[in-house]
Amino acid sequence: MEKLPLGLALDLRKVVPYKTGSWRTLMPTNITSMPPCTHSCPAGNDVRGFLRVLAEKGDYEEAWHVLTRTNPLPGTCGRVCPHPCEVGCNRRDFDAPLAINCAERAVGDYGLDQNLEHKKLIAARKEKVAVVGSGPAGLSCAFHLAKRGFQVKIFEAAGEPGGMMRYGIPSYRLPNYILKQEIENILKLGIELECNVKAGVNIPMDQLTREYNAVFLGLGAQMGASISIPGEDVENVYTGVDFLKQINHGKYVELGRDVVVIGGGNTAMDCARVAKRLGANVSVFYRRTRMEMPAITAEIDEAMEERIMFRYHTNPVKILSDEGRAIGVLCVQMELKEPDASGRARPIPIDGSEAVYPADTVIMATGQMIDYDGIDIQKVDDQWIYTSELQMTNLDGVFAGGDAVIGLETVAAAIGQGTRAASFIEDYIEGNVESRLSQPPVIYSKDLNTYYYEKSKRFTKEAVSIHRRLKGFQEIYPAFDHEEIIKESERCFSCGLCYMCQNCYMYCPDNAVKISPKTGMFEFDLDFCKGCGLCAKECPCHYIEMTLEK
Amino acid sequence: MNISEEELNRVEKKDLFTSGHRACGGCAQALAARLVQDASGENTIACVATGCLEVFSSPYPDPSWRVPFLHSLFENAAAVASGVEAAYKALNKGPVNIIAQGGDGSTADIGLQCISGMFERGHNILYVCYDNEAYMNTGVQRSSFTPYGARTSTTPMGNRTRKKDLPSIAAAHGIPYVATATTDDFKDLQRKVKTALSIEGPKYIHILVPCPLGWGHHGELSIEISRLAKDTGLFPIFEIIDGKVTNVRKIPVKVPVEEYLKPQGRFRHLFKKGVPTAEVAEIQAIANQNIERFNL
Repeated sequence: MEKLPLGLALDLRKVVPYKTGSWRTLMPTNITSMPPCTHSCPAGNDVRGFLRVLAEKGDYEEAWHVLTRTNPLPGTCGRVCPHPCEVGCNRRDFDAPLAINCAERAVGDYGLDQNLEHKKLIAARKEKVAVVGSGPAGLSCAFHLAKRGFQVKIFEAAGEPGGMMRYGIPSYRLPNYILKQEIENILKLGIELECNVKAGVNIPMDQLTREYNAVFLGLGAQMGASISIPGEDVENVYTGVDFLKQINHGKYVELGRDVVVIGGGNTAMDCARVAKRLGANVSVFYRRTRMEMPAITAEIDEAMEERIMFRYHTNPVKILSDEGRAIGVLCVQMELKEPDASGRARPIPIDGSEAVYPADTVIMATGQMIDYDGIDIQKVDDQWIYTSELQMTNLDGVFAGGDAVIGLETVAAAIGQGTRAASFIEDYIEGNVESRLSQPPVIYSKDLNTYYYEKSKRFTKEAVSIHRRLKGFQEIYPAFDHEEIIKESERCFSCGLCYMCQNCYMYCPDNAVKISPKTGMFEFDLDFCKGCGLCAKECPCHYIEMTLEK
Repeated sequence: MNISEEELNRVEKKDLFTSGHRACGGCAQALAARLVQDASGENTIACVATGCLEVFSSPYPDPSWRVPFLHSLFENAAAVASGVEAAYKALNKGPVNIIAQGGDGSTADIGLQCISGMFERGHNILYVCYDNEAYMNTGVQRSSFTPYGARTSTTPMGNRTRKKDLPSIAAAHGIPYVATATTDDFKDLQRKVKTALSIEGPKYIHILVPCPLGWGHHGELSIEISRLAKDTGLFPIFEIIDGKVTNVRKIPVKVPVEEYLKPQGRFRHLFKKGVPTAEVAEIQAIANQNIERFNL
């Protein structure tokens, strides 16, 4: 027997500590969950990821790489997206949501300034995919497929790539050079682009399906739809899309003094603001009220700031013309009755309320349609392309996404459709049957312990003064200060992701939370954890959850 | 005071009070003991009175203490610590941090004379009281720290007396440093321990430690409840340095006492079908008096 020091009955160094872990009924676990920003982003951007990189390291380059994992057009989205992510942000219930949109733009612009390049994930493969249309859906689909090694070729009907981003969005919202640079950057992944080729007209659909392993249709809704009122077929009545196309082609459009824009969507706002910049007196006619307008709220606000006149409850019934030119619009006042199928109040005309408003130009931004020329495909409501859950159309190997499928939506929604379609196309080509549709649970405000966060002020972007805005087509919001964006990113709650606040580490009464020597993150010592749940309760960002023993 | 501001504010985690102790899940006393121990460092002698802390942390052969540890009777931790300090003086050894520790029973009831003597003789000792507001070790009997209205096994209809104000009694001895703290603000707690240890003479720190078993709340709420105790004004956080009350923690948003009382089983009888009884108003009056007295 070993000799022990005087006075000791057993060697204390050999005593095994009492493992209190056996008392436990619930076990703390680190959970993977979906932050609400990513959940409400139609493109599925890792918002928390890039904001945490900015906040912890101040590293714009890494943030750009995190952001472009899902979104190839951060500079564009940072300008034109109506940022549903900020509506989802859990900080909304605490003080004010983060200015995610501004951060995205700052990161996107940094990438363009520094000429950062996308990285390929997988080496080249031999399978070929054709992408029809180079709008946000087509570009994002092509981007994700090219990253995964596919040979991608984009067919674009117009002279320049970008789709509605190029021809539908005026340059005071999205300067051309930003879009152009971002598209060039995407094409650097080895994507071929052929412009002035219209699928179905210049190249038949069956040739595409024969020559390529899969086809993605990102047709977009490129044709303006009018509301068919008498007198609309005169030369100075435009559809909204045509008007914007002409402006974005660089053509001069003679507007005259009074411009009437009909409609309440984003295209209507764009048309009205462009016409205002061309020096006209602009009024927007809408048959319901501001509440029912489908346009982005910020767009309506900015249009109002720019002194654009809004006439609500006003429905045009006839365009009056003289010598082949429109000279006025005959309108009738409406009143709102019970909601219709779209959930918006149904406008009913009031008898005897007709009035004539003078107009030198009429722009009808009352909806858009898809140009199906030469493409025979199953449709929904005779309008949108039918797709299955896996975004495949009725033709085998032909996928679709973007406005042509989901109706008139945002750039981010189209990007998301393209991203998902890319996954489905990969699965289709590889013959995977496993669905990728499952997603982790979303974290809401009630899951967070907001005691540990401090109230702070939200970053606000400063617009150029109105009178300078209206002088031309320069961007409304000048570039943001990088330091301020980093300060803003520090406001991120980091919902569902540890940010090393040390609460679990310091509060565990049993010292059962240790720093992992491998990862440097906190881990649970389940030999001693009694399962009291203090760590989960005091975790500010709900990274820890008490679960049943395995 | 020869200690830098930076060192005071640093959060210490040295695990000098380790895992494997037998405290209940969510025990704030175990947490407080570790925070105090880590703040004072290796150069410490812990003199612990009988009570929960001693019982769950010191069974042979695997005690949780990684510093020299002396177990004394229920009432004489302060006297034993005084002896240790005197011995160090006689042997001309040191300096060493001597921390006498006890629960509320051993501090406010049976040990009060020893503590009073220690304060009066001016030993260089820090006395830490872990206040869980009853004799939890022996089965939740009422102590003189039990608050008004709380149910214990000896006051089944609710306690009729108010809590003894020991920080003021300690301060009345004219000792250089008295402070109160809670475990939810560990930075503040460790700063107070370090400040106390840097001062020569007897010191007293009073720490509120919610007891899931005796207070009848879930273990995960221990931190939340000590936070509510502060924010309702029932447990004011302050320091008394050389007889002057300073560094009073202002309550950011005042919380009605109901929020503090409701999660706790020991106050459940104060709500008849969810409607607060007259005792709740009395407890609110106590909170209001504290708020007024310390200008919280």
